[in-house]
Amino acid sequence: MIPDRIIEQGTLTTTGARASVEVRIPWYRALPGSCISGAKLTIDGVAAPVESLRWGMNGREFTFDELATNVDEWWFPLDSATLSGDLAVSPDAEHTVDVDLTLYIPYIIISDSETLHIDEHDHKTMTAVQA
Amino acid sequence: MTEIGAPIQGVTLYSFTRAFHGREYDLESLIRKVAAEGYGPGLEIIGFSSFRGFPTIEPTFAGWFKDLVAEVGLVTTSLAVNADIGIHRDRLLTQPELIEYMSRQIEAAAALGFPIARVQISLTPDSMEQLVPIAEKHNVTLALEVHADQYASHPRILALRDRYEKIGSPLLGFTMDWGATTVGFAPSAIEAYRRRGASEELLSAVVALWNDYFEQGPPANQEVHGRRFGSFIGLAAQHGRPELGIDFGINGTGLFGPARVNDWLEIMPWIRHVHGKFFGIDENGEEPSVPVRDLVKLLVENGYTGAISSEYEGWHWNYWQSPFEIIAGEQAVQRSAAIDAGSHMITDAAEARAALAAHLAKTVTNS
Repeated sequence: MIPDRIIEQGTLTTTGARASVEVRIPWYRALPGSCISGAKLTIDGVAAPVESLRWGMNGREFTFDELATNVDEWWFPLDSATLSGDLAVSPDAEHTVDVDLTLYIPYIIISDSETLHIDEHDHKTMTAVQA
Repeated sequence: MTEIGAPIQGVTLYSFTRAFHGREYDLESLIRKVAAEGYGPGLEIIGFSSFRGFPTIEPTFAGWFKDLVAEVGLVTTSLAVNADIGIHRDRLLTQPELIEYMSRQIEAAAALGFPIARVQISLTPDSMEQLVPIAEKHNVTLALEVHADQYASHPRILALRDRYEKIGSPLLGFTMDWGATTVGFAPSAIEAYRRRGASEELLSAVVALWNDYFEQGPPANQEVHGRRFGSFIGLAAQHGRPELGIDFGINGTGLFGPARVNDWLEIMPWIRHVHGKFFGIDENGEEPSVPVRDLVKLLVENGYTGAISSEYEGWHWNYWQSPFEIIAGEQAVQRSAAIDAGSHMITDAAEARAALAAHLAKTVTNS
Protein backbone atom coordinates (compact mmCIF):
# COMPACT_ATOMS: atom_id res chain seq x y z
CA MET A 1 0.00 0.00 0.00
CA ILE A 2 1.02 3.63 0.11
CA PRO A 3 1.60 4.62 3.76
CA ASP A 4 4.21 7.22 2.77
CA ARG A 5 1.38 9.42 1.49
CA ILE A 6 -0.78 9.44 4.65
CA ILE A 7 0.42 12.83 5.93
CA GLU A 8 0.19 15.62 3.38
CA GLN A 9 3.31 17.74 3.43
CA GLY A 10 2.81 21.33 4.58
CA THR A 11 -0.71 20.92 6.00
CA LEU A 12 0.00 21.22 9.74
CA THR A 13 -2.10 24.03 11.17
CA THR A 14 -2.51 25.27 14.73
CA THR A 15 -5.07 27.37 16.56
CA GLY A 16 -2.80 27.47 19.60
CA ALA A 17 -4.74 24.83 21.56
CA ARG A 18 -5.56 22.45 18.72
CA ALA A 19 -3.49 21.11 15.84
CA SER A 20 -4.64 19.50 12.62
CA VAL A 21 -3.11 17.80 9.61
CA GLU A 22 -4.49 16.58 6.29
CA VAL A 23 -4.32 12.85 5.62
CA ARG A 24 -4.70 10.62 2.56
CA ILE A 25 -6.04 7.08 2.47
CA PRO A 26 -3.20 4.53 2.18
CA TRP A 27 -5.49 2.22 0.20
CA TYR A 28 -6.66 1.97 -3.40
CA ARG A 29 -10.42 2.24 -2.91
CA ALA A 30 -12.98 4.26 -0.96
CA LEU A 31 -13.89 3.11 2.55
CA PRO A 32 -16.88 4.18 4.65
CA GLY A 33 -16.57 5.82 8.07
CA SER A 34 -17.26 2.48 9.75
CA CYS A 35 -13.96 1.14 8.40
CA ILE A 36 -11.88 4.05 9.76
CA SER A 37 -11.52 2.58 13.19
CA GLY A 38 -8.83 4.63 14.83
CA ALA A 39 -6.07 7.18 14.51
CA LYS A 40 -3.31 8.68 16.56
CA LEU A 41 -1.86 12.17 16.08
CA THR A 42 1.58 12.78 17.57
CA ILE A 43 3.50 16.04 17.22
CA ASP A 44 7.07 16.39 18.47
CA GLY A 45 6.60 13.09 20.25
CA VAL A 46 3.48 14.16 22.17
CA ALA A 47 0.25 12.32 21.34
CA ALA A 48 -3.07 14.19 21.29
CA PRO A 49 -5.52 12.89 23.94
CA VAL A 50 -7.68 10.20 22.33
CA GLU A 51 -10.97 11.83 23.40
CA SER A 52 -9.94 15.11 21.71
CA LEU A 53 -9.40 13.56 18.27
CA ARG A 54 -11.77 14.56 15.46
CA TRP A 55 -11.99 13.32 11.88
CA GLY A 56 -13.01 15.80 9.16
CA MET A 57 -14.37 14.28 5.96
CA ASN A 58 -16.81 15.38 3.23
CA GLY A 59 -17.31 18.75 4.93
CA ARG A 60 -18.30 17.24 8.29
CA GLU A 61 -16.53 16.50 11.54
CA PHE A 62 -16.81 13.20 13.40
CA THR A 63 -15.67 11.58 16.61
CA PHE A 64 -14.34 8.06 16.11
CA ASP A 65 -17.41 6.72 17.93
CA GLU A 66 -19.58 8.43 15.32
CA LEU A 67 -17.50 7.00 12.47
CA ALA A 68 -17.88 3.47 13.84
CA THR A 69 -21.53 3.27 12.82
CA ASN A 70 -21.41 5.43 9.68
CA VAL A 71 -21.74 3.59 6.36
CA ASP A 72 -23.01 6.65 4.45
CA GLU A 73 -19.95 8.91 4.42
CA TRP A 74 -17.05 7.52 2.37
CA TRP A 75 -13.37 8.43 2.24
CA PHE A 76 -12.65 8.65 -1.49
CA PRO A 77 -9.08 7.87 -2.64
CA LEU A 78 -8.51 11.37 -4.03
CA ASP A 79 -9.78 13.25 -0.97
CA SER A 80 -7.87 14.61 1.99
CA ALA A 81 -9.41 14.03 5.40
CA THR A 82 -8.45 16.14 8.41
CA LEU A 83 -7.19 14.70 11.69
CA SER A 84 -7.19 17.14 14.62
CA GLY A 85 -6.64 17.01 18.35
CA ASP A 86 -5.77 18.98 21.46
CA LEU A 87 -2.07 19.78 21.11
CA ALA A 88 -0.34 23.10 21.70
CA VAL A 89 1.92 23.66 18.71
CA SER A 90 3.84 26.86 17.97
CA PRO A 91 3.25 28.38 14.53
CA ASP A 92 6.08 29.17 12.12
CA ALA A 93 8.30 26.50 13.66
CA GLU A 94 9.26 23.07 12.38
CA HIS A 95 7.62 20.02 13.96
CA THR A 96 7.70 16.26 13.55
CA VAL A 97 4.28 14.78 12.78
CA ASP A 98 3.34 11.12 13.23
CA VAL A 99 0.00 9.66 12.22
CA ASP A 100 -1.17 6.12 12.89
CA LEU A 101 -4.25 4.82 11.15
CA THR A 102 -6.26 1.63 11.55
CA LEU A 103 -8.52 0.73 8.65
CA TYR A 104 -10.83 -2.24 8.21
CA ILE A 105 -10.86 -3.86 4.75
CA PRO A 106 -14.50 -4.87 4.51
CA TYR A 107 -14.25 -7.49 1.76
CA ILE A 108 -11.41 -9.50 3.30
CA ILE A 109 -12.89 -11.78 5.91
CA ILE A 110 -10.22 -13.75 7.75
CA SER A 111 -12.42 -15.92 9.95
CA ASP A 112 -16.13 -16.50 10.55
CA SER A 113 -16.43 -13.25 12.44
CA GLU A 114 -13.28 -11.27 11.78
CA THR A 115 -12.57 -8.68 9.10
CA LEU A 116 -8.98 -7.86 8.11
CA HIS A 117 -7.64 -4.58 9.46
CA ILE A 118 -4.44 -2.80 8.55
CA ASP A 119 -2.33 -0.56 10.79
CA GLU A 120 -0.42 2.09 8.88
CA HIS A 121 1.97 4.80 10.01
CA ASP A 122 3.56 7.87 8.47
CA HIS A 123 6.10 10.37 9.76
CA LYS A 124 6.96 13.75 8.30
CA THR A 125 8.55 17.03 9.34
CA MET A 126 6.92 20.37 8.50
CA THR A 127 6.35 23.92 9.61
CA ALA A 128 3.08 24.71 11.37
CA VAL A 129 0.81 27.44 10.01
CA GLN A 130 -1.44 29.59 12.20
CA ALA A 131 -5.09 28.71 11.46
CA MET B 1 -11.27 -29.78 -31.42
CA THR B 2 -11.54 -26.32 -29.93
CA GLU B 3 -11.02 -23.45 -32.32
CA ILE B 4 -8.15 -21.22 -31.21
CA GLY B 5 -9.04 -17.93 -29.54
CA ALA B 6 -7.86 -14.35 -29.93
CA PRO B 7 -8.02 -12.60 -26.53
CA ILE B 8 -8.81 -8.90 -26.29
CA GLN B 9 -6.00 -6.68 -25.00
CA GLY B 10 -6.93 -4.38 -22.16
CA VAL B 11 -6.02 -2.88 -18.82
CA THR B 12 -7.54 -2.16 -15.44
CA LEU B 13 -7.07 1.35 -14.07
CA TYR B 14 -6.03 -0.39 -10.82
CA SER B 15 -2.63 -0.80 -12.52
CA PHE B 16 -2.23 2.99 -12.35
CA THR B 17 -3.27 3.32 -8.68
CA ARG B 18 -0.13 5.25 -7.70
CA ALA B 19 -0.59 7.83 -10.47
CA PHE B 20 -4.34 8.29 -9.81
CA HIS B 21 -4.01 8.37 -6.03
CA GLY B 22 -1.10 10.79 -6.41
CA ARG B 23 -3.41 13.14 -8.37
CA GLU B 24 -1.18 13.00 -11.46
CA TYR B 25 -4.23 11.96 -13.53
CA ASP B 26 -7.93 12.32 -12.87
CA LEU B 27 -10.39 9.75 -14.22
CA GLU B 28 -10.84 11.50 -17.56
CA SER B 29 -7.16 12.15 -18.22
CA LEU B 30 -6.26 8.59 -17.21
CA ILE B 31 -8.83 7.10 -19.58
CA ARG B 32 -7.58 9.38 -22.36
CA LYS B 33 -3.99 8.28 -21.67
CA VAL B 34 -4.97 4.59 -21.71
CA ALA B 35 -6.54 5.09 -25.14
CA ALA B 36 -3.84 7.34 -26.58
CA GLU B 37 -0.97 5.05 -25.56
CA GLY B 38 -2.66 1.87 -26.73
CA TYR B 39 -3.22 0.02 -23.43
CA GLY B 40 -6.74 -0.87 -24.60
CA PRO B 41 -9.13 -1.38 -26.14
CA GLY B 42 -10.40 -3.28 -23.08
CA LEU B 43 -11.06 -1.03 -20.08
CA GLU B 44 -11.70 -2.32 -16.56
CA ILE B 45 -12.41 -0.10 -13.57
CA ILE B 46 -12.90 -0.72 -9.84
CA GLY B 47 -16.13 1.02 -8.84
CA PHE B 48 -15.09 2.05 -5.36
CA SER B 49 -11.71 3.34 -6.61
CA SER B 50 -12.69 5.53 -9.50
CA PHE B 51 -16.32 6.64 -9.12
CA ARG B 52 -17.07 9.10 -6.32
CA GLY B 53 -20.24 8.09 -4.48
CA PHE B 54 -20.22 4.55 -5.92
CA PRO B 55 -22.43 2.56 -6.25
CA THR B 56 -24.76 5.54 -6.76
CA ILE B 57 -24.33 6.57 -10.40
CA GLU B 58 -26.21 9.63 -11.60
CA PRO B 59 -27.60 9.30 -15.15
CA THR B 60 -25.75 12.44 -16.28
CA PHE B 61 -22.48 10.97 -15.04
CA ALA B 62 -23.15 7.63 -16.73
CA GLY B 63 -23.84 9.49 -19.97
CA TRP B 64 -20.63 11.51 -19.68
CA PHE B 65 -18.62 8.35 -18.95
CA LYS B 66 -20.05 6.31 -21.82
CA ASP B 67 -19.56 9.22 -24.24
CA LEU B 68 -15.93 9.54 -23.16
CA VAL B 69 -15.26 5.80 -23.58
CA ALA B 70 -16.85 5.87 -27.05
CA GLU B 71 -14.99 9.03 -28.08
CA VAL B 72 -11.56 7.63 -27.24
CA GLY B 73 -12.32 4.22 -28.77
CA LEU B 74 -12.17 2.00 -25.70
CA VAL B 75 -14.41 -0.95 -24.83
CA THR B 76 -15.70 -1.33 -21.27
CA THR B 77 -15.11 -4.92 -20.12
CA SER B 78 -15.42 -5.48 -16.37
CA LEU B 79 -16.54 -3.30 -13.51
CA ALA B 80 -14.82 -4.68 -10.42
CA VAL B 81 -17.30 -4.64 -7.53
CA ASN B 82 -16.80 -5.60 -3.90
CA ALA B 83 -18.59 -7.94 -1.53
CA ASP B 84 -18.07 -5.79 1.59
CA ILE B 85 -19.63 -8.24 3.99
CA GLY B 86 -17.55 -6.79 6.87
CA ILE B 87 -18.75 -3.20 6.35
CA HIS B 88 -20.37 -3.05 9.81
CA ARG B 89 -17.93 -3.07 12.69
CA ASP B 90 -19.99 -5.36 14.92
CA ARG B 91 -21.38 -7.97 12.52
CA LEU B 92 -21.27 -9.35 8.99
CA LEU B 93 -23.94 -8.46 6.44
CA THR B 94 -26.99 -10.70 6.51
CA GLN B 95 -27.77 -12.64 3.35
CA PRO B 96 -30.58 -10.26 2.22
CA GLU B 97 -28.31 -7.26 2.92
CA LEU B 98 -25.50 -8.83 0.89
CA ILE B 99 -27.78 -9.50 -2.08
CA GLU B 100 -29.02 -5.90 -1.93
CA TYR B 101 -25.43 -4.60 -1.60
CA MET B 102 -24.34 -6.56 -4.69
CA SER B 103 -27.49 -5.72 -6.65
CA ARG B 104 -26.82 -1.99 -6.43
CA GLN B 105 -23.33 -2.51 -7.85
CA ILE B 106 -24.54 -4.79 -10.64
CA GLU B 107 -27.07 -2.09 -11.54
CA ALA B 108 -24.21 0.45 -11.58
CA ALA B 109 -22.22 -1.79 -13.96
CA ALA B 110 -25.14 -1.80 -16.38
CA ALA B 111 -25.64 1.97 -16.07
CA LEU B 112 -21.98 2.58 -16.92
CA GLY B 113 -21.99 0.17 -19.86
CA PHE B 114 -19.92 -2.68 -18.39
CA PRO B 115 -21.09 -6.11 -19.58
CA ILE B 116 -19.26 -7.89 -16.73
CA ALA B 117 -19.20 -7.38 -12.96
CA ARG B 118 -16.15 -8.91 -11.27
CA VAL B 119 -17.36 -10.33 -7.95
CA GLN B 120 -15.39 -11.86 -5.09
CA ILE B 121 -14.85 -15.12 -3.27
CA SER B 122 -17.01 -14.38 -0.23
CA LEU B 123 -20.06 -14.96 -2.45
CA THR B 124 -21.17 -18.55 -1.94
CA PRO B 125 -22.85 -20.77 -4.54
CA ASP B 126 -26.20 -19.84 -2.91
CA SER B 127 -25.42 -16.12 -3.24
CA MET B 128 -24.46 -16.52 -6.88
CA GLU B 129 -27.69 -18.39 -7.54
CA GLN B 130 -29.71 -15.67 -5.80
CA LEU B 131 -28.03 -13.02 -7.94
CA VAL B 132 -28.96 -14.64 -11.26
CA PRO B 133 -32.28 -12.74 -11.60
CA ILE B 134 -30.46 -9.45 -10.92
CA ALA B 135 -27.82 -10.33 -13.52
CA GLU B 136 -30.56 -11.22 -15.99
CA LYS B 137 -32.49 -8.02 -15.31
CA HIS B 138 -29.42 -5.91 -16.12
CA ASN B 139 -27.80 -8.32 -18.59
CA VAL B 140 -24.52 -8.28 -16.68
CA THR B 141 -22.26 -11.35 -16.45
CA LEU B 142 -21.06 -12.12 -12.92
CA ALA B 143 -17.45 -13.28 -13.03
CA LEU B 144 -16.22 -14.42 -9.62
CA GLU B 145 -12.50 -13.82 -9.26
CA VAL B 146 -10.25 -16.81 -8.61
CA HIS B 147 -7.36 -15.12 -6.81
CA ALA B 148 -4.50 -16.46 -4.68
CA ASP B 149 -4.70 -18.00 -2.12
CA GLN B 150 -7.51 -19.76 -4.01
CA TYR B 151 -6.96 -21.58 -7.32
CA ALA B 152 -9.16 -23.27 -9.91
CA SER B 153 -9.19 -26.74 -8.30
CA HIS B 154 -9.76 -25.37 -4.78
CA PRO B 155 -12.85 -26.98 -3.23
CA ARG B 156 -14.63 -23.61 -2.89
CA ILE B 157 -14.10 -22.86 -6.59
CA LEU B 158 -15.18 -26.34 -7.68
CA ALA B 159 -18.35 -25.97 -5.57
CA LEU B 160 -19.14 -22.76 -7.46
CA ARG B 161 -18.39 -24.41 -10.80
CA ASP B 162 -20.65 -27.33 -9.97
CA ARG B 163 -23.46 -24.95 -9.03
CA TYR B 164 -22.95 -22.99 -12.25
CA GLU B 165 -23.22 -26.22 -14.18
CA LYS B 166 -26.49 -27.06 -12.42
CA ILE B 167 -27.99 -23.58 -12.96
CA GLY B 168 -26.87 -23.36 -16.58
CA SER B 169 -26.98 -19.56 -16.84
CA PRO B 170 -24.58 -17.96 -19.34
CA LEU B 171 -24.33 -15.01 -16.92
CA LEU B 172 -22.36 -16.96 -14.28
CA GLY B 173 -18.63 -17.49 -14.61
CA PHE B 174 -15.18 -16.75 -13.29
CA THR B 175 -12.48 -14.13 -13.56
CA MET B 176 -9.13 -15.90 -13.88
CA ASP B 177 -6.43 -14.05 -11.93
CA TRP B 178 -2.93 -15.02 -13.00
CA GLY B 179 -1.66 -14.43 -9.48
CA ALA B 180 -2.99 -17.89 -8.58
CA THR B 181 -0.45 -19.51 -10.90
CA THR B 182 2.90 -17.77 -10.44
CA VAL B 183 6.36 -19.35 -10.60
CA GLY B 184 8.34 -17.22 -8.18
CA PHE B 185 8.44 -14.57 -5.48
CA ALA B 186 8.52 -11.39 -7.59
CA PRO B 187 12.10 -10.05 -7.92
CA SER B 188 10.83 -6.45 -7.78
CA ALA B 189 9.30 -7.18 -4.36
CA ILE B 190 12.63 -8.68 -3.25
CA GLU B 191 14.37 -5.50 -4.49
CA ALA B 192 11.94 -3.40 -2.43
CA TYR B 193 12.86 -5.38 0.73
CA ARG B 194 16.53 -4.91 -0.15
CA ARG B 195 15.93 -1.17 -0.28
CA ARG B 196 14.36 -1.46 3.18
CA GLY B 197 17.63 -2.94 4.42
CA ALA B 198 16.80 -6.65 4.42
CA SER B 199 19.96 -8.80 4.29
CA GLU B 200 20.83 -10.93 1.26
CA GLU B 201 20.70 -13.96 3.54
CA LEU B 202 17.11 -13.19 4.57
CA LEU B 203 16.06 -12.48 0.98
CA SER B 204 17.55 -15.77 -0.22
CA ALA B 205 15.71 -17.57 2.57
CA VAL B 206 12.37 -15.97 1.58
CA VAL B 207 12.84 -17.02 -2.05
CA ALA B 208 13.85 -20.55 -1.00
CA LEU B 209 10.84 -20.90 1.31
CA TRP B 210 8.46 -19.79 -1.45
CA ASN B 211 10.15 -22.22 -3.87
CA ASP B 212 9.55 -25.06 -1.39
CA TYR B 213 5.83 -24.21 -1.31
CA PHE B 214 5.79 -24.03 -5.10
CA GLU B 215 7.19 -27.58 -5.21
CA GLN B 216 4.49 -28.70 -2.76
CA GLY B 217 1.76 -26.98 -4.78
CA PRO B 218 -1.09 -24.78 -3.53
CA PRO B 219 -2.35 -25.17 0.05
CA ALA B 220 -4.95 -27.91 0.35
CA ASN B 221 -6.93 -26.01 2.98
CA GLN B 222 -6.94 -22.92 5.23
CA GLU B 223 -4.92 -24.69 7.88
CA VAL B 224 -2.03 -25.29 5.48
CA HIS B 225 -2.39 -21.73 4.19
CA GLY B 226 -2.21 -20.39 7.76
CA ARG B 227 0.89 -22.50 8.52
CA ARG B 228 2.63 -21.15 5.43
CA PHE B 229 1.71 -17.58 6.36
CA GLY B 230 3.13 -18.16 9.83
CA SER B 231 6.36 -19.61 8.45
CA PHE B 232 7.10 -16.39 6.54
CA ILE B 233 6.56 -14.43 9.76
CA GLY B 234 8.88 -16.81 11.60
CA LEU B 235 11.59 -16.44 8.97
CA ALA B 236 11.58 -12.64 9.30
CA ALA B 237 11.81 -12.94 13.08
CA GLN B 238 14.69 -15.44 12.89
CA HIS B 239 16.64 -12.96 10.79
CA GLY B 240 16.01 -10.05 13.14
CA ARG B 241 13.47 -8.26 10.89
CA PRO B 242 10.11 -9.16 12.50
CA GLU B 243 8.46 -6.02 11.05
CA LEU B 244 8.77 -7.53 7.56
CA GLY B 245 7.07 -10.80 8.51
CA ILE B 246 3.42 -9.92 7.83
CA ASP B 247 4.39 -8.42 4.49
CA PHE B 248 6.30 -11.58 3.50
CA GLY B 249 3.27 -13.63 4.54
CA ILE B 250 0.71 -11.51 2.69
CA ASN B 251 2.75 -11.45 -0.52
CA GLY B 252 4.14 -14.97 -0.25
CA THR B 253 0.71 -16.56 0.18
CA GLY B 254 -1.81 -13.98 -1.06
CA LEU B 255 -0.14 -12.52 -4.17
CA PHE B 256 2.19 -15.22 -5.47
CA GLY B 257 -0.01 -18.30 -5.78
CA PRO B 258 1.81 -21.62 -6.45
CA ALA B 259 -0.75 -23.53 -8.56
CA ARG B 260 0.21 -24.86 -11.99
CA VAL B 261 -0.99 -23.22 -15.21
CA ASN B 262 -2.94 -26.33 -16.25
CA ASP B 263 -5.02 -26.10 -13.07
CA TRP B 264 -7.15 -23.51 -14.91
CA LEU B 265 -8.51 -26.30 -17.13
CA GLU B 266 -10.85 -27.24 -14.23
CA ILE B 267 -12.91 -24.12 -14.90
CA MET B 268 -11.82 -23.08 -18.39
CA PRO B 269 -15.28 -23.04 -20.07
CA TRP B 270 -16.57 -20.72 -17.32
CA ILE B 271 -13.74 -18.17 -17.60
CA ARG B 272 -15.52 -15.00 -18.69
CA HIS B 273 -12.81 -12.50 -17.86
CA VAL B 274 -9.08 -12.48 -17.09
CA HIS B 275 -6.91 -10.41 -14.79
CA GLY B 276 -3.49 -10.53 -16.41
CA LYS B 277 -1.92 -10.08 -12.99
CA PHE B 278 1.79 -9.35 -13.02
CA PHE B 279 4.48 -7.72 -10.91
CA GLY B 280 7.26 -6.47 -13.15
CA ILE B 281 9.24 -6.79 -16.36
CA ASP B 282 12.92 -7.75 -16.27
CA GLU B 283 15.92 -6.63 -18.34
CA ASN B 284 15.02 -9.21 -21.01
CA GLY B 285 11.53 -7.79 -21.41
CA GLU B 286 9.91 -10.79 -19.69
CA GLU B 287 7.78 -11.21 -16.54
CA PRO B 288 10.09 -13.21 -14.24
CA SER B 289 7.48 -14.51 -11.78
CA VAL B 290 4.25 -14.89 -13.81
CA PRO B 291 4.29 -17.35 -16.75
CA VAL B 292 2.54 -14.87 -19.06
CA ARG B 293 3.48 -16.78 -22.22
CA ASP B 294 2.16 -20.10 -20.94
CA LEU B 295 -1.06 -18.47 -19.69
CA VAL B 296 -1.76 -16.70 -22.99
CA LYS B 297 -1.01 -19.94 -24.86
CA LEU B 298 -3.43 -21.84 -22.62
CA LEU B 299 -6.18 -19.28 -23.29
CA VAL B 300 -5.56 -19.20 -27.04
CA GLU B 301 -5.52 -23.00 -27.31
CA ASN B 302 -8.76 -23.24 -25.37
CA GLY B 303 -10.58 -20.80 -27.62
CA TYR B 304 -10.73 -17.84 -25.23
CA THR B 305 -11.97 -14.66 -26.94
CA GLY B 306 -12.73 -12.55 -23.88
CA ALA B 307 -10.62 -9.74 -22.48
CA ILE B 308 -7.35 -9.85 -20.57
CA SER B 309 -7.00 -6.83 -18.27
CA SER B 310 -3.33 -6.25 -17.60
CA GLU B 311 -3.28 -5.89 -13.84
CA TYR B 312 0.02 -4.50 -12.58
CA GLU B 313 0.34 -5.15 -8.87
CA GLY B 314 3.99 -4.21 -8.44
CA TRP B 315 2.94 -0.63 -7.65
CA HIS B 316 2.53 -1.64 -4.00
CA TRP B 317 6.29 -1.70 -3.54
CA ASN B 318 7.86 -0.39 -6.76
CA TYR B 319 8.01 3.39 -6.33
CA TRP B 320 11.16 3.78 -8.45
CA GLN B 321 9.88 2.78 -11.92
CA SER B 322 7.10 4.13 -14.15
CA PRO B 323 4.08 1.81 -14.19
CA PHE B 324 3.24 2.98 -17.71
CA GLU B 325 6.41 1.51 -19.26
CA ILE B 326 6.12 -1.69 -17.24
CA ILE B 327 2.52 -2.27 -18.37
CA ALA B 328 3.44 -1.60 -22.01
CA GLY B 329 6.19 -4.19 -21.58
CA GLU B 330 3.81 -6.84 -20.25
CA GLN B 331 1.31 -6.25 -23.04
CA ALA B 332 4.12 -6.73 -25.58
CA VAL B 333 4.79 -10.14 -24.00
CA GLN B 334 1.08 -11.02 -24.27
CA ARG B 335 0.96 -10.06 -27.95
CA SER B 336 4.12 -12.00 -28.73
CA ALA B 337 2.80 -15.06 -26.87
CA ALA B 338 -0.50 -14.96 -28.76
CA ILE B 339 1.36 -14.87 -32.09
CA ASP B 340 3.61 -17.74 -30.98
CA ALA B 341 0.45 -19.71 -30.22
CA GLY B 342 -0.78 -19.16 -33.78
CA SER B 343 -3.22 -16.34 -32.98
CA HIS B 344 -3.11 -12.66 -32.01
CA MET B 345 -4.38 -10.27 -29.36
CA ILE B 346 -7.31 -8.14 -30.49
CA THR B 347 -6.35 -4.47 -30.36
CA ASP B 348 -9.03 -3.00 -32.63
CA ALA B 349 -12.03 -1.61 -30.73
CA ALA B 350 -14.74 -2.73 -33.16
CA GLU B 351 -13.28 -6.22 -33.35
CA ALA B 352 -13.01 -6.29 -29.55
CA ARG B 353 -16.65 -5.24 -29.08
CA ALA B 354 -17.88 -8.02 -31.37
CA ALA B 355 -15.58 -10.64 -29.87
CA LEU B 356 -16.57 -9.78 -26.30
CA ALA B 357 -20.29 -9.92 -27.11
CA ALA B 358 -19.88 -13.33 -28.76
CA HIS B 359 -17.74 -14.60 -25.88
CA LEU B 360 -20.28 -13.58 -23.24
CA ALA B 361 -23.18 -15.08 -25.20
CA LYS B 362 -21.63 -18.56 -25.11
CA THR B 363 -23.31 -21.11 -22.90
CA VAL B 364 -21.17 -23.84 -21.42
CA THR B 365 -22.13 -27.19 -22.88
CA ASN B 366 -21.08 -30.61 -21.75
CA SER B 367 -20.22 -31.77 -25.25
